[in-house]
Order: sequence, then structure tokens, then C-alpha cells
Amino acid sequence: MKQTLILFMQDEPGVLNRIASLVRRRNFNIDSIVAGRTEKNGITRMTLVVNEPNKAKRKTIYNNLKKLVDVYDVVDASNENCHIREHALVKVSIKPGDFKEIEDLVAKGNCRILDDEPDSMILELSGNEITVEKSISFLKKFKILELLRSGKMAMISGNQKKNKPVLVKSEPI
Amino acid sequence: MGKVRLTGAEIIWECLIRERVNVVFGYPGGAILPTYDALGKYSDKVHHVLTRHEQGATHMADGYARSSGKVGVAMATSGPGAANMVTGLATAMMDSIPIVCITGQVPRPAIGSDAFQEMDISGAVIPVTKHSYLVMEIENLARTIKEAFAIARSGRPGPVLVDIPKDLQAEEFDFIYPEEPILLPGANLVTSDIDSNSLEQAASLIAESKRPVILAGHGILLSGASSEVIELSEKGNIPLSWTLLGSGAVPASHHLNMGMMGMHGEFAANNAIQKADLLIACGMRFDDRVTGNTNTYSLESKKIHIEIDPSEINKNVPVDVALVGDLKSILTKLIPLLKEGQKSSWTDKIEDWRKESQSRDIINMNTEMLYGAQVISDIWKETNGDAIVVSDVGQHQMLEAQYYKHDEPNTLLTSGGLGTMGFSLPAAIGASFSNRDKDIWVIVGDGSIQMTITELATAVQENTNIKIAIINNGYLGMVRQWQQLFYDSRYTETPISSPDYVKLSEAYGMKGFRVKSRAEISDTMKEAQNIKGPVLIEFVVEQHDMVYPMVAAGADLDEMISRPVHEQFKDAEM
Ligand SMILES: Cc1ncc(C[n+]2csc(CCOP(=O)(O)OP(=O)(O)O)c2C)c(N)n1
Repeated sequence: MKQTLILFMQDEPGVLNRIASLVRRRNFNIDSIVAGRTEKNGITRMTLVVNEPNKAKRKTIYNNLKKLVDVYDVVDASNENCHIREHALVKVSIKPGDFKEIEDLVAKGNCRILDDEPDSMILELSGNEITVEKSISFLKKFKILELLRSGKMAMISGNQKKNKPVLVKSEPI
Repeated sequence: MGKVRLTGAEIIWECLIRERVNVVFGYPGGAILPTYDALGKYSDKVHHVLTRHEQGATHMADGYARSSGKVGVAMATSGPGAANMVTGLATAMMDSIPIVCITGQVPRPAIGSDAFQEMDISGAVIPVTKHSYLVMEIENLARTIKEAFAIARSGRPGPVLVDIPKDLQAEEFDFIYPEEPILLPGANLVTSDIDSNSLEQAASLIAESKRPVILAGHGILLSGASSEVIELSEKGNIPLSWTLLGSGAVPASHHLNMGMMGMHGEFAANNAIQKADLLIACGMRFDDRVTGNTNTYSLESKKIHIEIDPSEINKNVPVDVALVGDLKSILTKLIPLLKEGQKSSWTDKIEDWRKESQSRDIINMNTEMLYGAQVISDIWKETNGDAIVVSDVGQHQMLEAQYYKHDEPNTLLTSGGLGTMGFSLPAAIGASFSNRDKDIWVIVGDGSIQMTITELATAVQENTNIKIAIINNGYLGMVRQWQQLFYDSRYTETPISSPDYVKLSEAYGMKGFRVKSRAEISDTMKEAQNIKGPVLIEFVVEQHDMVYPMVAAGADLDEMISRPVHEQFKDAEM
């Protein structure tokens, strides 16, 4: 089972280095990592998806991430009502007759045409893991020239206190 | 103190002095030169020990920290100097030792250009430090050093590195010491309020248990919880066993102390752990060297884990109750909830196991050759058991743990987690700076001493009052033992030659002795102890000795190869 963790960390040089190093050192099996800015200045937010079926190990991963000095808090979204979204850019090689099938995909709403050249097309896919997965397998009938997946971004539904990260600094004791 | 115009280098010393640092172990070089230059102004407050290698500096800071409970400080230049610190940082990290390493870095404009002696040390040490810094603005310098010390000593202690570019050391700044408290994002892992539910659960597990065992770890020393652990053990009449780093946490002479656990642990201790119905783990982390095969580890027991680091809970061994926090304060709350335990068939049984293994002991025998165990046992007797012993890594380390009976906390300093050969001599030099009135003995193999033997010069230059006992078996003994047991006695690259240690001592300007028989030990030691300053004694011992009992790596903890019955005792038994 996948574990979805949302990390809130100090926007310091080297902080991604530290997460990557920890992942390698503790031998976590990573499915995806995405990081970016947030509504708060100086705070970077990361969604880390880990493949770890063992419940005790999942707790260890959580606690190890929390141990990092630059990490404010970690929210485990695995068992929460949570939106997990992903983007993918796909460049496919198409023949004139293929266009109709692509249009159908676009009509379903999870695909946009970004670039339309006589020999190829760049498509933007978005949605949850399954939608993106399905769209990609559909596109495999054409020749996929390039594929880029963004990794997963997670946000928990609602505004409950228990899912809010603690973003205050405190004194080491 | 108000505002003063200081250079970065001066700020470094000002900050160290405010952390009550009075000794720094280090080695100069280009990128740290401004800081060494400024040392002149502060030399009445800080003593600098010039080591012979930066690895030595880190182990000295480590030995200083282990023996004093204070933060040890090491200093080095960029590139090769900093790189030489990695082993010492990893050693301190594995054993939760608070040290701060300060390194020079190439000037800021040169960073990233592969400048002469440039190395990204703050990046390189991420996996082996609690935290690391590269300071890029002088206004952050003082706060960073203050943070480094706070991180090193707080919670579960550990090493921190601060990398400071050369031009920043030379830059001038209106310095005001940051008096305000240090605030960090990820600082408070440990909550001070322990939930009473888990406390009660733990108390009832203890009350229900018939065959309880306390596992005493390094956390007891770090938390200063020795008397609480003894109280727990006595109140519940609970026998206890310790990890290598937990040596001395509870007096070896205590009647409930079964001795060391694990790979070279006592027969009684390992047996008791396997047969127990309750383990109370205090500040230990179920390392593979103490559990053996985790699939068969103490299967009948419930487990209580008292530990400051939540990421250790359920890491290697699943537990039933976890109490996360400072050991001393948790035990203070737990003990009043317990009822007095009675003497039971369990403690009687353990007594029988103990007698069984004691009767086979080589230290009670007359042997033609000298044995490592005999040397260590005699050193224990000669020093009245109250020396600080710094052991290295190998057979002699395990023999020390078995035969030097530590009754006081923080009197065995050894590299447990990383098992770093070469640790002992520099660590002992470091320890001497916080324990000027105590005897300090280094117990080291002929392999290990040669890893950092260069620090003899430091010991002489500082006239360090340490006694170095080299247990010379002509082999990398512990590796030879594995070869004998698991590689058909093919001794590939384990026979090792040594210099003439007596002549070598003379060359370094110190006294050296050689001891070949047990009869000489006592007099030689007395002579050595009368000399104030470093003394080396080489003990020439049986080359093919083995450390028993032994549990092979990954084997079940009670699958022990026990001490063989010696010929002399076979006769006696007949
Ligand atoms: C730096 C380092 N290199 C290699 C080892 C592997 N190793 C563990 S024990 C040992 C032999 C130690 O020999 P010696 O110091 O002579 O002690 P003895 O076992 O003979 O008592 C070796 C090579 C190690 N622990 N550390």
C-alpha cells in the first residue's frame, strides 16, 4: 500500500538534498516526490509517496522525516480523504487519421492539446493516478516519443485541525 | 556585551567561549587560517590541541564529550582536512555523541569552481550528522554556531558540522551575541508529557510478568538515569543486562546485573532474554549485534521500549508499549506505579546459568601463554576498577567489555555503532582533558593502534596522562576469529606485523614496556602508573585466542558457542 506524506519544511539551500539523502540512507521505496512553494513565505511543501506495506515501517519513515532539523511537520495523508493529482506531458507521433481519437480523449476532460505539429502532438494529461495511467495506456496505441510525469501532489479535503501542520519553531531541548 | 566590531574568525571564538568550550582539537590549513590567526587573542581561554590527523581531532572531541557529557569541538581546514573528519562524524552519529566540527571553506566567490581544496563537506556529511551548515552571511554566523551546539546536545545528541568560508572569517561585522533562545522548525520531537495510559499499561505488564529482564542501553548514560534504572531493577527484583555502550550504566557488581548481552554477551544474559516473558528496553535500539536473528528474538516476551527517539520504536523489534521521551523523567513517573517484586525461581535460574559460565573462565587458569582476557582482568584489578577505559575495536574490545567490571557510568568509552578501528588512542587523549584526576587506560589491538598511532606524538606534546595497553596477538584478531569459524581457517590478510613498540615509544619520547607473562603485569602497571604522562605497554598474548561466548551474525540469540572447557578443568571435574 502506498503512503502519502505531506512535508512542510524550511526553504533553505540543501533541504532537498537532506530529504533525498534520508530516502537513500534508510532505503525507502519512493513512488514519487514533488516539492514547491506554498501560501507561506519561506515554507516549501513536498508530497512524498512511498511504497511501504509494513505499518511499523511507515511510522519509522514518518518519524525519520520529522527528525530533520529543517522539517516543520509531516502530515500522513494516507488514510485521509485526500486529492492526489498528477500531470503528464506526452509527445505522440500521429498520422492524419489519428486525430479523431485524440479529440475524443480531449472531450473526456483530462487531456489538453498544447502543441499540434504535422508530425507530432504534445498533450497535457492531468487527474488522479488512475486517470493519468489510463490516458497514457490509451496513448500507447500511437507512438509515444516523449513522456514526462510530474509526480503526485496531495491536498487533504476540508479544513480540519488534525490535518493542519504545525508551522512554528521551537527551542531544542 | 554591546556591539563590537569583530572579524568572522573572532566571532567564532567568542561564540565557542560562550558555549563554555575551553579545549578545541584541530589542525590548521589555508581555509581556516584566519580563525587560527585569531586564536592568539583567545589562547588564555581556549586551549588548542594540535592533533596529527583530523580523524584524530574528531575522536578526541568525541572522547571528551563521552567522558564529560559536554559538547566536544574539532576544527579543520577545507577539502582534505574536512574529508578526514567524516569517519569521526560517522562514529559520533552512530553512538549519539554531541560534537561540533568547524571547517574552513574556500572563499565564497570561489565556491562551486573546484577551487584548490574545495569540497562540499556540508553536503557530504548529511548522512553522518544530525545537521550541517554552510554559513554564507556573516550576520548568520553567531546564530549558526549557537544553533549547532543546541542541536548537538539536545534530544538524542549527535554531531553537527559548520562550514565557514575563508573570506567570511576575515570579514568585519558589528557583533552582538544573539541572546535570544534558538528556535528551529524540527526541534521538538520529544514531548515532555508522557501519556498516563501507556505508563499504566507498562506498569501492569511489569506487575503481571514472571520472567522480566531490563535491557540497559547507552540512553541511561545520556539521560543520567542510572539510579532510576537501579531502582526499577531492585524494586521489581528484575535482572538486567546491558549493551556494549550501556556498560557502567548499572554497576557490574550489582547482584541483579547479568552482564553484557548480544553477540559476545554472557550466556546467562542471552538465555534470560530468550526465555523472558517481559523485556524492558531502556535507551537502547535493538541493534543486530544484540538481537541476533530478529525472527526468533525473545518470542515469548511482551516488550516495553523507553526511548527518546520515536524513529527507533518498532524499527528492528516490534514492541507492545512505547514510552517516548527522556528516560530519567519517564522512570521517575513509572517507578511509583510498581509493586515490590519478590525473589523468584526466575532469578534463581539466572544464578545457575551464571555459575555455569563462570566456571569455564580462562582468567582463573594457569596458562603458559598470556591471554588477552587475563591482561584485561588484571588491569581491572590493578586500577581498582575505577579507571576510565577507552577500548578500540576487535577481540580486545569484547574482552574488555567482559572482564573490566565497570561500576561507574561513563567509564567505558568505545565505538559501538560504527566499530571504528583507531578510535581509542585519540578518544583517550580527548577524555584526558575533562578528567585530569582519573586514570585513563587505552585497551587496543595491534591492528587498531596502527590506524591512529600517529597520535602518540600528540599525547607526548600534550603530556597526556594516559596508559596505553596494546594487546598484541599478531593478527587482526576478530577478523581471524571469523575466518577460523566461517572461512575454514583461511587467514587471508589477517596476520599483521608491528613495529617494536618499546623502541617506537622511545622514538616518540615516551616510556614503553613489553610484558610477556602474567607475573610481570602488576609490577609493570605500577611502574607505568607512577609516570605522569603517556606510557605504552605491549602485552604479547596468545595468537589464536577466541572470544566466547559467541552468537554468529544472524543466528538465534541462544544459539551460543560457549567458552570451551579448558583441559585443566576437565581434569578437575574428574
Ligand atoms: C576502520 C576499520 N577497518 C576495518 C574494520 C574491520 N575489523 C573489525 S575488528 C578488526 C580487527 C582488529 O584487530 P586488532 O586491533 O588487532 O584487535 P584484535 O581483534 O586482534 O583484538 C577489523 C579489521 C573496522 N572495524 N574498522
